[in-house]
Amino acid sequence: MSKKIREILGEDAEVAFAERRYAVISEILPKVLKGAKPLTRSDMLDKALLNKYLGIPIFLALWWALFRFTFDVSAPFSDLIDMFFSWLGETTSGVIANEQIASFLSDGIFGGLGGVLVFLPPIFFLFLGLAILEDSGYLARAAFVADRIMYKLGLHGKSFIPMLIGFGCNIPGIMATRTIDREEDRILTILVNPLMSCSARLPVYILVSRAVLGGYYTAGVYSMYILGIALAVLMALLFRRVIPYFKGKPSPFILELPMYAKPTLRNTLIHMWERGVLFLKKAGTIIFLGIIVVWLLSSYPWNAVHVEDKFLLENSYLAMFGKTIEPIFRPLGFNWMGAVALFFGFIAKEIVVGTFATLFGLQAEGPEEVIPALKSSGIFTPLTGLAFMAFTLIYLPCIATVGVIYRETNSWKWTLFTVIYELILAYVVAMAIVWIGGLLGYA
Amino acid sequence: MSKMPLAMLSENEEAIVVEIRGGRGLVRRLSEMGFTYGAKVRILHSSSPGPVLVSIRGSRIALGRGAAMKILVNLEVEKWQ
Amino acid sequence: MAIRVAVIGNPNVGKTLIFNNLTGGKAHVGNWPGKTVEKKEGKCVHKGVEMKIIDLPGTYSLTANSIDELVARNYIVEEKPDVVIDIVDSSNLERNLYLTLQLLELEANIVIALNKFDIARDLGYEIDVNELSKLLGIPVVPTVATTKEGMEELKDAVLKAAREKRKKRKIEVSYGKKFDELILKIQRAIENDEELSKKYPTRWLAIKVLEADEEVLKIIDRSPCKHEIVNQLLEMKG
Repeated sequence: MSKKIREILGEDAEVAFAERRYAVISEILPKVLKGAKPLTRSDMLDKALLNKYLGIPIFLALWWALFRFTFDVSAPFSDLIDMFFSWLGETTSGVIANEQIASFLSDGIFGGLGGVLVFLPPIFFLFLGLAILEDSGYLARAAFVADRIMYKLGLHGKSFIPMLIGFGCNIPGIMATRTIDREEDRILTILVNPLMSCSARLPVYILVSRAVLGGYYTAGVYSMYILGIALAVLMALLFRRVIPYFKGKPSPFILELPMYAKPTLRNTLIHMWERGVLFLKKAGTIIFLGIIVVWLLSSYPWNAVHVEDKFLLENSYLAMFGKTIEPIFRPLGFNWMGAVALFFGFIAKEIVVGTFATLFGLQAEGPEEVIPALKSSGIFTPLTGLAFMAFTLIYLPCIATVGVIYRETNSWKWTLFTVIYELILAYVVAMAIVWIGGLLGYA
Repeated sequence: MSKMPLAMLSENEEAIVVEIRGGRGLVRRLSEMGFTYGAKVRILHSSSPGPVLVSIRGSRIALGRGAAMKILVNLEVEKWQ
Repeated sequence: MAIRVAVIGNPNVGKTLIFNNLTGGKAHVGNWPGKTVEKKEGKCVHKGVEMKIIDLPGTYSLTANSIDELVARNYIVEEKPDVVIDIVDSSNLERNLYLTLQLLELEANIVIALNKFDIARDLGYEIDVNELSKLLGIPVVPTVATTKEGMEELKDAVLKAAREKRKKRKIEVSYGKKFDELILKIQRAIENDEELSKKYPTRWLAIKVLEADEEVLKIIDRSPCKHEIVNQLLEMKG
């Protein structure tokens, strides 16, 4: 039927109808509308912000400022949350006599919850900054400026904004791909989005690099962000070439640029909240459950783990499980602790740090001693530490992201594909780091 | 009447849309955004080989090179007034 | 019974803010059945009347271009909300009215919120609100969502529109003699199918048939009127 009608009609009607509707509007307008400036302040600003040479440097400067703002402003808030939960944990374990319940509350619930909620400030401040850029009208300009580069990568300008949001959290990042018109382009953008290093992964980099990279600590952290972007670019290019579904050029880029406007507090807060709440939901459900599971496995069998005054983690179910899966990760130089952390990290990356906190926190006195404890445990060399960070970066961020990928692609095929390609890529890259580092003599 | 792709125009030039080439999806999308026969466009910004920014029907639309090559325009604006 | 009000508009017109102004920020967020598109619902009580506000996805058009557009249009066509608030960017009337015209074809009971009225004024635009309302045959309320200006007037207009339940619009886009005749013929053919014409605005269906809209053609395909339509089209083609 559809074919038949199109054969009869051609494409004339659709275009002709659009023309007629605009013609009717053109008849109405002069009767109701007067005045208008030919060139507005908005257009003047565009002359600078979209400039061929200045556009990209301006974007990078703004983006850098946004990251600094996010981390600097959120740090004290994160510290406060951390302190509050440590205090809560200590107080409960002091008040409650039953040591199993006390440990469950202080190490399991409060330790774990605190470990997750410290991510709230950086995520919300990043989304606040993004909302300001979006409401001011700049974000659409960033897409314009990036279009030329994105096109070379087989994507287009509209794929750029989801990538930027992905640095906060991949879930709203993947949801932001909805503005991309063509299904192939949208799915390609979704497939590489998890490689944008979301804020949940940052604490892993910080923990590991502070423990083993010494003076190269910041460089180690930044290198992960760059690695993520580089891999996203490579994968996008590869998929476009290799997978028949993505063959061909990206669909044409058409985007309305809104006029610049002063962002209003209320609107900005609404935008921030809409994205941030997705993280809150995730934290309140699966991450929380995951942390309790890790605590249970690491504390039981109780009598084998808690012998007299000592805490013998080696005897826990967690260690048993870890040692079973350890061989898989041995080529990468991770021991059972690393293996367990990565395994539970599949639920959510926040749990990687949480697991280390449980593993070392139970033995040490408090969370602030996790870094020295990790350092003295000697489970990572600088090289395997770097490989561990890369592995954390590349394999899937969390179960919630898997859920969103399924919902947005409406296909188990693409969801599974993402999970598997990222696991393989993570393994290969981590192994390459260890291997090349070994060749260079950094073993 | 001479036609040329919108992408070839330089900044601040004005022209009239006379034809859109391309697949059904693109033609439909563009005509809904206001790129219809007889509509006046002005190039606000062009950074070859990057996208162009045009003003049409009171809004600013960014077009990738590819899309801008498919919109054919006529430069003789006065004739259409 | 609560009045069902749908909010629609182009992207970047301040739709989120108006929705929040109306609902006081309290919204129930879910998904459209079977779709990946987010569905936001909220409540608003005005002068003792309860309104259920549904936020439709931001869209430039109501063609079957994307999931967003389909969701918006299916809601209006199938659920038939009592009132549709069409948020129009005052500083960009020309492009925004395109959606309005399509809403008129859908025979929605429209109230226009002429948002960003302050920005339009700053840009030097003078909009004759009464004349616009008269020409389109629908109520028009200037609003500034950021400062909540015009919100009470908007709610008043929605209540009034819900009470009046006007259907026939003043403006009907003419698509030229040839097409208008054809639209009318197809419309007649569709009206033979009672079930179909009860459910959908027939002129809209006819227009969409001519636009070869995939979704509408699927609907027509199931109706006995399709043969008549094909005949009409062939006849026109001569």
